Amino acid sequence: MKLFGFIAVIIVGALLLAATGDFPAWGDAGSPASQGQVSSFYIEQTINETKVPNMVTAVLADFRGYDTMFETVVIFIAGIGIIAVLRTFGDQASKAPDGPEADNDSGDLIVRTTCHMVVPLIQLFALYVIAHGHHSPGGGFQGGVMLGASYILFALACGLPAAKRRMGERRAIIIAAAGIIIYAGWGVACLLLGGNFLDYTSLDPILPGDEQMARSHSMLVVEIGVAFTVTAIMFAIYSNLSTRGRLEKGL
Amino acid sequence: MTEHFSALILLMPLFGALLVTLLGRERRTACWLTALVCLAASSAFAIGNICQVLASKSGDLRYRMGGWQESAGYEVGIELRVDMLAALVVAMVVLVGFVNIIFAKTRVGSEMKDKVAFFYALKQLLIVGLCGIVMTNDAFNLYVLIEITSLTSYALIAMGNRRAALSSFNYIIMGTIGASFYLLGVGYLYIKTGTLNIDDISSVMQSGDLWAHPSIMIAFVLIMLGIWTKMAFFPLHGWLPNAYSYAPGVVGSFMAPLMTKVMVYVMLRVMLWLFGGEYVYSSGHIWGELIIWMSIIAIIAGSFLALACTDIKKMLTYLIVAEVGYMVGGAWLMDGAGILGSMYHILSDAAMTFCLFLAASIVILRTGDHRLTAFTGLFRSMPLTMTGFTVGALSMIGLPPTCGFFSKWYLISGAIEVGHWSYVAALLFSSLVNAVIFFRIIERAYFGRIEGVESLPVDADGSPPVVLDRVPYSMLLPLLMAAGSVLLVGIYNEVLAGWLRAAIPSL
Repeated sequence: MKLFGFIAVIIVGALLLAATGDFPAWGDAGSPASQGQVSSFYIEQTINETKVPNMVTAVLADFRGYDTMFETVVIFIAGIGIIAVLRTFGDQASKAPDGPEADNDSGDLIVRTTCHMVVPLIQLFALYVIAHGHHSPGGGFQGGVMLGASYILFALACGLPAAKRRMGERRAIIIAAAGIIIYAGWGVACLLLGGNFLDYTSLDPILPGDEQMARSHSMLVVEIGVAFTVTAIMFAIYSNLSTRGRLEKGL
Repeated sequence: MTEHFSALILLMPLFGALLVTLLGRERRTACWLTALVCLAASSAFAIGNICQVLASKSGDLRYRMGGWQESAGYEVGIELRVDMLAALVVAMVVLVGFVNIIFAKTRVGSEMKDKVAFFYALKQLLIVGLCGIVMTNDAFNLYVLIEITSLTSYALIAMGNRRAALSSFNYIIMGTIGASFYLLGVGYLYIKTGTLNIDDISSVMQSGDLWAHPSIMIAFVLIMLGIWTKMAFFPLHGWLPNAYSYAPGVVGSFMAPLMTKVMVYVMLRVMLWLFGGEYVYSSGHIWGELIIWMSIIAIIAGSFLALACTDIKKMLTYLIVAEVGYMVGGAWLMDGAGILGSMYHILSDAAMTFCLFLAASIVILRTGDHRLTAFTGLFRSMPLTMTGFTVGALSMIGLPPTCGFFSKWYLISGAIEVGHWSYVAALLFSSLVNAVIFFRIIERAYFGRIEGVESLPVDADGSPPVVLDRVPYSMLLPLLMAAGSVLLVGIYNEVLAGWLRAAIPSL
């Protein structure tokens, strides 16, 4: 079996090496991927068509927004798939103590205090990354991961029960689904106003600015949708993996 | 409104899945109703789509996501493209999904316990993924949707019994390798052509005369390897039997007919539209003859492995491996009739696999036994279930007027036209093996003697309404619908073949 694996690896490696010899040179500005019609269109027309200076976000959230919607769905599936497989619903889930004093029943004082100071800053920066995604590097995925990480940090420092009171399981699932509803629902709104699915220009009548600005605003909306899903799923995956689906004390 | 049908087919189950997750795990009937309504609407749109394709002059519908018009002849956004083949396969996916939701009604509670809502959500998302794969005209979008179908199926399979978790893990490893190969191939194509739209890649390769470049050939090989892994083409089939037979009954009966068939569709799409028959079938490549021989081996090995099984579901999964061999072989016969046979077999194999898996699930539920011996004397106690099973079995063997006969007919006539007698022999051999397998069961069911007909165990999970076969209507009806579709696809084979023939691009 090992020998078979070795032979397979050698063959695939040889194929990959053979192909690289045929590629355009590293950094070649004249290669098809850099100079092709599609790339030139993105580089030259993005600012005119969408009023968005960040080309990457424009490609992600508008030109190929349909892909990004499904990428968000992939994250959603990863989350509810892990819940569906791991989560054990039963009586063994002990009742967590309620009230603010329960926040202080676990962890070290210094860690907890630092965490209480850092979490708001992380979340504020995450919101900036989401809101500014179409102007500077950033966007829904990056900001969502930061927001999710802030919840995970809180759970690590103050214990899962405390974090669960802020982001319970049911709430996480609702937020995750709401994110995709925002994204796909925005696309359906375009459809209802007479355009194709995700054709943001058809939202022009209900958004401020002209048709191109409608694209820019819509990118912000769908990025917010992405951030909702990513935040909630990050935390749901952490809480299920760290407690083997029992959602008790955790790490 | 009508121009949005292809997008609406996808959006219905997508919103259905989100709604089901919002409903939560307590409201089971509401979840079921939501899924049912969404898939019914989706089916209606899919049928509307077929009518539109028939009515259109060009024979295909194009739908630009985001409304991005092409620039200088290249698509800048993502485009859906629905020709007759895609319209039929999409209709097949959503109809099988719809009928399976009816089937799931009484079983899902006992098989999924507290996770009913997750089941309905994941199942609808799987349908979204499959429909998207079939309709998209973008090589990377195809990958994203393959990811969606893979993730949902890993989760759905892992929700089965204890052994399901390990088989799902095997499937994750194999599936991820397959998807990575596909992605690598698409990456190579993008480096060489600078676009991701399937039609545009094809036209850039044509105009730039990239055919002789080794990287294009390697991209083709990588994409094919990836797709073969996902469709369980022998010897890459290792993950399939365990995954499908240990999965929950309601999941297996849905995934077995659809997943491999949709991947065969992707293979045809890549061969005939992305690379084009001229390149794929050109005599300069060593692969043509080699792959037909591989598919002959797949057919024979799948048949033998099925013959050796004593577990009904395992046996059916090995038959799928053999059927995949049929379709791959047909597609590589380098001949219109073979390709037509392969396309028609996608539809007919889905119908008959669905029928057999439903019947097997009912028998396993009623007898509590998943061995072939469970069928002893079943015609006496479960006549309707066994009628459905017999129709599916006759189609597997290939007797008229079932669809299995006609797909074999097209495949064999294609093979005879190009003079590939070994493929013909393999098909006939596999039919004989199927006859042995199924007549063994049918004989046992007709003439086998059992002691105490009344002592069949009753369903452990309460008391669903029990009828003639002591099976709820909600399970019997889907089985009879599936059996009916086996006959309908067979009887109307002329019509379907005519439609499909129009979709085949000139070689």
